[in-house]
Amino acid sequence: MLLIHCPHCEETLPEAEFAYAGQAHIVRPADPMSQTDEQWEEFLFIRENAKGAHYERWRHLHGCGRFFNAVRDTVSDRFLTTYPSGTPRPDLSTLTEGKA
Amino acid sequence: MSYRIPGRGRIDRAQPIRFTFDGHDVEGFRGDTVASALLAQGNHLMGRSFKYHRPRGPVAAGSEEPNALIGTRRGKGQFEPNTRATMQELRKGLETTSQNKYPSLKFDVGAVNDAAYMLFSAGFYYKTFMWPRNFWHKVYEPFIRAAAGLGVSPTEEDPDVYASRNMHCDVLIVGAGPSGLAAARQAAGKGLKVVLVDEHSEAGGTLLSEPQAKIDGVAAWDWLSSTLAELEAAGVKVMTRTTAIGYYHENFIGMVERLTDHLDEVPQDTPRERMWRVRAKQVVLAQGALEKPLVFHGNDRPGVMLAGSAQTFLNRFGVLVGKRPVVLTSHDSAWYAAFDLAGAGAQVQAIVDTRAEVRADLLDQAKALNIPVKLSHTATATSGRLRVSSLRVNKVSGSTVSAGSEIKCDAVLMSGGWTPSLHLFSHTKGKLAWDDDLTTFLPSDTPEDCVIAGAGRGLWGIEAALADGAAQAQAALDALGQAGDAASYAVDEDRPGTGVMHKELPTDKQPGRAKAFVDYQNDVTAKDLRLAVKEGMRSIEHVKRYTTNGMATDQGKMSNINGLNIAADALGKKQPQVGLTTFRPPYTPTTFGAFAGYHRGSHFEVTRKTQIDAWAEENGAVYEPVGQWRRARYFPKSGEDMDAAVKRECAATRSSVGIFDASTLGKIEVVGPDAAEFVNRMYTNPFLKLAPGKCRYGLLCGDDGFIRDDGVIGRISDDRFHVTTTTGGAARVLNMMEDYLQTEWPDLDVWLTSVTEQWSTIALNGPNAAKLLQPLVPDLVLTEENFPHMSCAEVDVAGIPARLWRVSFTGEIGFEVNVPAPLGRQLWETLWEAGQQYDICAYGTETMHVLRAEKGYIIVGQDTDGTVTPFDAGMGWAVGKKKADFVGMRGMARPDLVAKGRRQLVGLLTEDGSKLEEGAQIVLDPNQPIPMKMVGFVTSSYDQGTVGQPIALALVEGGQDRMGETVYIPMPDRTIAAKIVSTIFVDPENNRLKIGAAA
Amino acid sequence: MNALTSFPTETLVSNAAVSVTKVPHRARLSLRARGDLGPLERALGYSLPRKIGGVTLGTACLGPDEWIIMTDDAAAIMAACASVDLPHSLVDVSGREISFEIEGDRAGELLTLGCPRDIDAIADGTARRTVFDGVTVTLWRDTSERFRIDVWNSFAPHVAHLLEIGARELAAEMA
Repeated sequence: MLLIHCPHCEETLPEAEFAYAGQAHIVRPADPMSQTDEQWEEFLFIRENAKGAHYERWRHLHGCGRFFNAVRDTVSDRFLTTYPSGTPRPDLSTLTEGKA
Repeated sequence: MSYRIPGRGRIDRAQPIRFTFDGHDVEGFRGDTVASALLAQGNHLMGRSFKYHRPRGPVAAGSEEPNALIGTRRGKGQFEPNTRATMQELRKGLETTSQNKYPSLKFDVGAVNDAAYMLFSAGFYYKTFMWPRNFWHKVYEPFIRAAAGLGVSPTEEDPDVYASRNMHCDVLIVGAGPSGLAAARQAAGKGLKVVLVDEHSEAGGTLLSEPQAKIDGVAAWDWLSSTLAELEAAGVKVMTRTTAIGYYHENFIGMVERLTDHLDEVPQDTPRERMWRVRAKQVVLAQGALEKPLVFHGNDRPGVMLAGSAQTFLNRFGVLVGKRPVVLTSHDSAWYAAFDLAGAGAQVQAIVDTRAEVRADLLDQAKALNIPVKLSHTATATSGRLRVSSLRVNKVSGSTVSAGSEIKCDAVLMSGGWTPSLHLFSHTKGKLAWDDDLTTFLPSDTPEDCVIAGAGRGLWGIEAALADGAAQAQAALDALGQAGDAASYAVDEDRPGTGVMHKELPTDKQPGRAKAFVDYQNDVTAKDLRLAVKEGMRSIEHVKRYTTNGMATDQGKMSNINGLNIAADALGKKQPQVGLTTFRPPYTPTTFGAFAGYHRGSHFEVTRKTQIDAWAEENGAVYEPVGQWRRARYFPKSGEDMDAAVKRECAATRSSVGIFDASTLGKIEVVGPDAAEFVNRMYTNPFLKLAPGKCRYGLLCGDDGFIRDDGVIGRISDDRFHVTTTTGGAARVLNMMEDYLQTEWPDLDVWLTSVTEQWSTIALNGPNAAKLLQPLVPDLVLTEENFPHMSCAEVDVAGIPARLWRVSFTGEIGFEVNVPAPLGRQLWETLWEAGQQYDICAYGTETMHVLRAEKGYIIVGQDTDGTVTPFDAGMGWAVGKKKADFVGMRGMARPDLVAKGRRQLVGLLTEDGSKLEEGAQIVLDPNQPIPMKMVGFVTSSYDQGTVGQPIALALVEGGQDRMGETVYIPMPDRTIAAKIVSTIFVDPENNRLKIGAAA
Repeated sequence: MNALTSFPTETLVSNAAVSVTKVPHRARLSLRARGDLGPLERALGYSLPRKIGGVTLGTACLGPDEWIIMTDDAAAIMAACASVDLPHSLVDVSGREISFEIEGDRAGELLTLGCPRDIDAIADGTARRTVFDGVTVTLWRDTSERFRIDVWNSFAPHVAHLLEIGARELAAEMA
């Protein structure tokens, strides 16, 4: 069972309090009707299958209820960092593996 | 004849305990295991092997035991198969039975398999039973089924209680041998939460088997008891009978504590086992090492056992495993076993060592004890029917094996050296490094916050184990910011040693006929492993699966390294190039009870009940599960089956009034200045202009354009909406809304609060619904003009502040009364009383399903399957045409979703008036060849309704353009023709919804 | 709403280890707001705790923009906040959940039966949402030996059942 740091609660807590919510930084276009079919397909379906650092979302479901973002190494299953939704992607080169 | 040695062992001779083995009374002592008590009677034969039904006795003294598996029984339902006799402690009244034998352990007809040895070689599953083809069902499969499996599964419900707890600690130490004890001492007294666990009934590990050692001048057992007292005083939690079964991410360790299996009487409220879910900041693995058997013909005969285990039986249990043992070894450690047994009165027949040179002090001591020594010898056979009676040994010079000679004996104590217990370390994805000197894998790097101490990383001897336990624990403490120096220890009469590695021992006989066992439990021989390689298996993982080496319940504790050595030799590679198979949790076999914990019976999973559920129960409701809820499905009167009850409930509701508990509907209160904007963006329907006091049906789609959920949404005030969802969709919809709100539209000033359980919701439907309700709602006139269909109001109902909705899921005049949840039953009973004059009828979910289907109202998840758009469902009317955007709007415009020929929801009426089966497939031409082209399927089908004939809803390709056409539903016995019709079977003009019109 | 608050205190189990009591309803309001909370705090008459887990006068901060207010006078709070000039959401959830009080030497240990989170690491006088045996609960730690669990009505029997079993198990352990 993973340990996850909630950036809102500022606590590192057991995975059982959280729910996975898919890849992060996929922004719903402001005007969906202006999107081509290809663009909309990309938005709906096309996802990374990263080996290594993966930007993803979690929700502190049994906690503060917030969705937030995380960088997790899919090989080691360790979180490199977590950060609130809406903030920019952290620079991978500044992250060292460890508990976020 | 007793093999118990006076004055030896840690058993309590003042407490004799009787138990039974295969129906015979046996006496042992408190502190004995079943194995030690039977060995004390001179009984080595404890079971039959899995495949060949060969007689077997214990080969080990601990949890790695592969052979001595027994059934244990305490009482009705309290039977456990495959318990290791070496771990089961004696208790009064314990009943034990041997396994895999018929009719008796001593005479077993299944042993014919042993003679048919050639039939059962590696991969026999894949080869032997191939031909003739028709033999499979009649001959092979019944034979395999009868022969397969270890022990017998219990058939009665287990009456025992199982428990679980979470634990958090600073330092968890696994294994309470010398390394673990030294680690615990190092960590104790520093204000840290330290936990020390051991799978045995008492702490001590090797110290229990080596009482001769003196630690810092104190005898081992005295040192042990004072250390345990010291640890307890320092607040260290010492847990015995507790097995760490798995090591998971981020220092999360599963442990099973056995609480009652050793007790004569089980105290009340005490669980049999407890699963501990431990999160440790630092873990010290001090699990020690496992002794390897030697691989030679007949190495499985009862009486052949590991030398270290014989030492354990002697020193811990006071049991001599043989009076005339012979020692066969490639490692120094077994020499000490010979000396210990000789010291206890055994006539050690010989020490046979495969090595040409052995330490002089060992040779001297053997000489002093008059034990014959044979160096550079191999063993090539054993004899004896149910117990070893001789060992055949041969001199080896280079690659030449001389003629053999027999050594008479009653036990063979073997040692092929030691291998670290790597299981838990491997669970951490830890890397192993091959050590050429020790010819074994040692733990290397691990991603976890974990250190390995003592024999677990190849350090032999008590002094080395103690020193390393302290040092490794200090390394863990350093990581916790507790710097310090590791304690040092001096041990006298320590027994460190070295040895050499072997594949199977050399023999002068035909190797192809040798039964030299590598995996005792799965009956895998060296020959099987070589055959697997010969037949093309290259990876150790393939060899493992082809031969089943290491796949038994002992997880290859004894067989993996020997198996690897042999496979590597057959492949002509070095061991690290061949690699070790993966060890997986659990470390030892674990009961299902321990995994289930409290989750059984009524506590198996959450069963949510509404406030009105108790009334339904008192009134004979039959329930069905809907999500986590249990809902009243129908209310049978005496003698009624479901069909009859539902027919009556449907008719009563359409003719007068029905009452229905709708409390399970999901409810979300959407509040804030942007509430209308948010609801408008989420749902397909327009909501900006919905006036307070009005409701509107809402369809919720995903951004892919497919229907996700639906419900009625009421506007309580400008900035407050009361949104309802389906029962099963409540949590999912709230999560989806939070997702959009938090991450896509964080600028909106609106908040979502789940009020599903704030309100009890009671639906009244039927032509008399308004008449029933009006007297209870003095502040609101319930007329078509004043409170039309799709209105809502905050008003007192029967004196309770309520949210009253005029909505219908039946096609009749309908109301839903929401009152604070705890008052739900009170309101229900008030309405029930008031409704008696109208013959009010309580109905359940089944009637609700029928009545809604007659009106063509969909149930999301039944009439939709995640690939249905609002247009497919015939609900284009629910999609706002003038909206700039809503969730799903762009998705619905995707090429596939607007293409012709999509499956669309239609009604079906069968030509012969029969009822269709839900899920039945639909074809256009019943005479086409099989496989037919299926164009859709039945989603809902009922014949208890009020239409006068069975009705069905179905998804059919291009269905909405096929009105009036006939389609066919092929069933196993016949083909049913049905006409495609509108989904609305009752009152398409909605006249019955109007107050006054239907009265 | 008298009927909501009038049910009696009900002791589910009480022994040497711990007692578990179903305590009467108080009114509960879910408050959501963000930004400058000054106007709301002036209406409420006290400062809202800003750190998740913080508790002030029966009001616990459960999320960055979320508070649960336990009160004996919901109407007064609703009235006071009605005219506050700050976008917010105030929802009466008094009927939604019930509370269990868990008190005794082994109260914290009892919670470990269902809570994966480290109970010992929770500070006295705090509250947060967490999970107990798969069920979302609000866990209040009043003192090291007294906790409260708020749980939605329909999950309460499941939670109560485990608390009762566990309390007996803990008592047996002490015997």
